[in-house]
Amino acid sequence: MTEKAIEAKKKGQKKSSEDYTYIGMVFHRLTRHKLAMAGVFMLIFIVLFVFVGPLIWRLDPNAQIEGLEGLFNPASRAHPMGTDDYGRDVLARMFFGGRISLFIGFASAISSTLLGAIVGLVAGYYGGWADNILMRFTDAMLSIPTFPLLIALASVFGKGVWQIILVIVVFGWMVDARLVRGLVLSLKEQEYVEAARAIGASANRIMWRHLFPNTLAVLIVSTTIGIGGNIIYEASISFLGFGVQAPFASWGNMLQNAQQFIWNSPRLIIYPGLAIFMTVLGFNFFGDGLRDAIDPKLKL
Amino acid sequence: MRDYIIRRVLGMIPLILIVMIVSFGIFSLVPNPFAALIENPRIKKADIQRLIKAWGFDLPWYLRFFKWFSGVIRGDWGPSLLYPGSTARDVIARRLPVTMRVMGLELLVSLVIALPIGIISAVKQYSMTDYVVTVFSFLGMSMPSFWLGLMMMMLFSVVLKRPSGVPLLPAGGIITPGLEQAPFWVKLGDRAQYLVMPVFVLSFLSIGYYARYMRSSMLEVVRQDYIRTARAKGVPERSVINKHALRNAMIPIVTLIALSVPGIVGGAAITETIFNIPGMGSLIIQAEIKADYPTAMIGLMLSSVLVIVFNLVADIVYAWVDPRIKYS
Repeated sequence: MTEKAIEAKKKGQKKSSEDYTYIGMVFHRLTRHKLAMAGVFMLIFIVLFVFVGPLIWRLDPNAQIEGLEGLFNPASRAHPMGTDDYGRDVLARMFFGGRISLFIGFASAISSTLLGAIVGLVAGYYGGWADNILMRFTDAMLSIPTFPLLIALASVFGKGVWQIILVIVVFGWMVDARLVRGLVLSLKEQEYVEAARAIGASANRIMWRHLFPNTLAVLIVSTTIGIGGNIIYEASISFLGFGVQAPFASWGNMLQNAQQFIWNSPRLIIYPGLAIFMTVLGFNFFGDGLRDAIDPKLKL
Repeated sequence: MRDYIIRRVLGMIPLILIVMIVSFGIFSLVPNPFAALIENPRIKKADIQRLIKAWGFDLPWYLRFFKWFSGVIRGDWGPSLLYPGSTARDVIARRLPVTMRVMGLELLVSLVIALPIGIISAVKQYSMTDYVVTVFSFLGMSMPSFWLGLMMMMLFSVVLKRPSGVPLLPAGGIITPGLEQAPFWVKLGDRAQYLVMPVFVLSFLSIGYYARYMRSSMLEVVRQDYIRTARAKGVPERSVINKHALRNAMIPIVTLIALSVPGIVGGAAITETIFNIPGMGSLIIQAEIKADYPTAMIGLMLSSVLVIVFNLVADIVYAWVDPRIKYS
């Protein structure tokens, strides 16, 4: 805390925005953003559900209850969300499916942002033909309808968690690349970059130590929103049958299995869908709030 | 301006080539469908070899690409593997109108709803209305399409029934079997029932994007000085918004609409699958997993080329409605 802030505190005044560090200021503005806070609470709930839930509810998500009586049980004390078509406990599958869905969302969003950042940094910093080739390629990738190709790749490589992540990353980096390139084009003209070049910093060092940190705020927002979008992608791929394969659960493939039982056991559809919906909504609320919080033009 | 357009059109050629090569390369990863026929003892080995050769599956993918590409240049898009006996072009031609009907309606419905609520939400920023619109926009953006579709189906095709016992809305398809030869008005009414759920689902998902976009574009404009000037002069609030602000706020929206048009031919694979609509989205996916590359490529190229063309259209329209922008 600066002296001014301490003084202000003595007088009983509120902190003004000058008294914060950048991160402190963003955090402060974020806490005043109602929807962002709603998003945070939703995400905390989901994370607790998925990670703490299995510690309390210790049923094997793949264990099947023997006999016909075990199938399609409605909600009961033994199975709060009932059992599915193989007599597996739906609640336990929701925990494990959620972990996989969240992991795929996180890993793919972070990797595609990084890949996009690399392309954007190189294109923006070097300019010239490198920029030309990279951006032409980015434009081409942007004009291909992503989803059909995603399915084509998933149908070949799919089936595993890592492969799904890879497939999502291949088609997920373009927007970030453009974003970073745009920022780098204006950043690299600034004096501090010239100063760094003057004392002999290497291109790599300038890109990663001087330019990249300045794009982080924007990239974090895009990653946050990307996580939500990628969870839907994973669910969509799994829903069409090319995603994470049985017996492993993901929210997406739980929905795919449940589709045929829509007439008799609608709850098998309602739970995983609701979980995906809440998670994605949480990330969207939070990401949007974050965007507002780092935008200096907005008053919060 | 003319030079700019010529330059951009020339720039499209490498772009389209990259799109072709990347899509073709990815499709070529799908295993050769004829290889599995070897297991079948009733088919002669020589026949299988002939099939493989005719389809070019004996060649490495880049040579197959040239074989396909030289056909395309001559206007021959090749036969369909998914629907033996039809050319890929005919298969697409059958599917295209269905998709265009659904997606065109979707675009229309979303714009008609989203633009006004986006404007209201911006004009009354931070009001109750604004919050409701914002929350609803986010609900739509975060909803997995298949889940919304299945929930709608549960409600309107299972739970809710007409007095006669028929479900309120048909669960899937595009027309009641047997009505294909019915008079125009009967057919129209029947088809409309099949369109309600898919169009609702798709619109609900996209209204949020358009409304948010309209809102932020409007907010950007009402903050500007000339709006304050208009208000200071005593111009009634109604015409400040409708005449002064709206015109400028619509400029980015025009681009957005231009960029949305290509989606009309691409279709929506998941929604089409759920509601059993024989459209482009589900066709492309079926085609690519069956290695029917001629059909899948037409579908993809149609969307990609339209995206590329409409990107240019968007830029030109942008310059046309906003005289401040000049391309050189």
